[in-house]
Amino acid sequence: MTKKTVDVSIPVGPVHPCWKEPARVKCETRGELVLSAEVELGYMKKGIERIMRGRPWQEVMFLAERVCGICSVIHNMVFIEALEKISAIPVPERAALLRVVVNELDRIQSHILANFSYCYTIEHETLGMYLLDTRERVMDELERITGARVTCAYIVPGGVRFDLRPEDALHLRAGMDTLERDITRYMSMFEHGPLISLRSRGIGILTREAAREAYAVGPTARASGISDIDRRLRHPTYQKLGFAPVSREEGDNFARVMVRFQEVLQSIALIRKCLDTLPEGPIRGGGIPGAGEIAYSGEAPRGELSYFIKTDEAGRVVEISIQTPSIMNIEACCHYMLKGVASLADVTSTFVSSDPCIACTER
Amino acid sequence: MREPMYEKDLTAMKYAILQSRRHDGMVREIAADIGVPQLRMRRYLMDRFDMLLLENLPARYEQGKKLREDSPEPERQLGAHLYTHAVPIIDEGIMRQIIEGVREMVRNGASLDQAVYSGKERMRKEITA
Repeated sequence: MTKKTVDVSIPVGPVHPCWKEPARVKCETRGELVLSAEVELGYMKKGIERIMRGRPWQEVMFLAERVCGICSVIHNMVFIEALEKISAIPVPERAALLRVVVNELDRIQSHILANFSYCYTIEHETLGMYLLDTRERVMDELERITGARVTCAYIVPGGVRFDLRPEDALHLRAGMDTLERDITRYMSMFEHGPLISLRSRGIGILTREAAREAYAVGPTARASGISDIDRRLRHPTYQKLGFAPVSREEGDNFARVMVRFQEVLQSIALIRKCLDTLPEGPIRGGGIPGAGEIAYSGEAPRGELSYFIKTDEAGRVVEISIQTPSIMNIEACCHYMLKGVASLADVTSTFVSSDPCIACTER
Repeated sequence: MREPMYEKDLTAMKYAILQSRRHDGMVREIAADIGVPQLRMRRYLMDRFDMLLLENLPARYEQGKKLREDSPEPERQLGAHLYTHAVPIIDEGIMRQIIEGVREMVRNGASLDQAVYSGKERMRKEITA
């Protein structure tokens, strides 16, 4: 006798213990099989673009950081670099490298947090807690350099706010050594854990074609074999550092988490390279933002972050539009990865594997 | 008893998404390409897509436009891939019928422009029905 199955619509969220932020995923299921999923947002809309309009850039740079509490540095960096492009403001080499150091530290803590969330969701709390502890040490490094853990406002037009003191550089090097050792160990635990394998391999597959169609970005796209969309490839400082993106071919939950682990190791190498090549010199070149219009993108921890900005002669932001990477990635997750997931238990883990940031999406 | 928040009508929020500068530009371009009023196009998108797909439409549209240029005729002029995959406003089966219809017209002696016009007429009907 065959088991009778019925079509059921199952809502997951808006509040779910495994999710950091509220979103409602409505799954159409047949038995346990997910046939399709639809997303409802609007539980934490900030309207930050509307708040930014008409304000001077000195206020907007602080607002930009508040779009997202996890990857605030890249919002600061993209907004300021867009202003610098508009007004042709030069950046001293030392400041450009310090920007990379802080941006990569931010990427490391974001990736570790994302992988913690995934481990917590598949109920591997031990690894989850190890990762969370490691993240705290990265946050400490960020605080040591910038003076703040989250909204640092470190990057300013023409340079950075504070210089890196020699004792902080030494501390950072030692921190990177410990971090590399720990992350290598956690990667091995993740790669060889039988429970993790059971819950992650072959689940939530995003094919290369689907990733292209949904314009998936960041680690989500790189786990599906797309590496050419990393914006760091077009950034002059990263080009000087010889940056090359990592990618995997599997396109499943396992690959997405592993890509983030690999990128943490890559960020450590980039920070070391910056410290090795850091020249002596000024950290602020000066310059005043003026009138202009630009579309500028940078690589956030979750992928391509784009700012469309129009300013007037006084540097006031007349028009602004922000396209965050989570918009593309969550869409790819809900309309491609979740389709065909064989068990409802895998819905949350697949959703979390795409590192969804609802704060960014709703901005 | 108060109505649960998650069951409320999403029309206003969907409309707010389509008001952004990039969404507005995209809606104007699609409406002009197919030949339907912008208001009708906005309503159609809001009825058909969930909030997240609406948010992601400009990125998908830009990606689809690049692929459109590499398509053969009449798919390129009709925007076959663009309007079935990137911005899925026409079902794949219907688009196949439209393409077949256009090819049939060309085989029977109509010019490509005439045939494409009639194909777009069918797309307009789908959207305004």
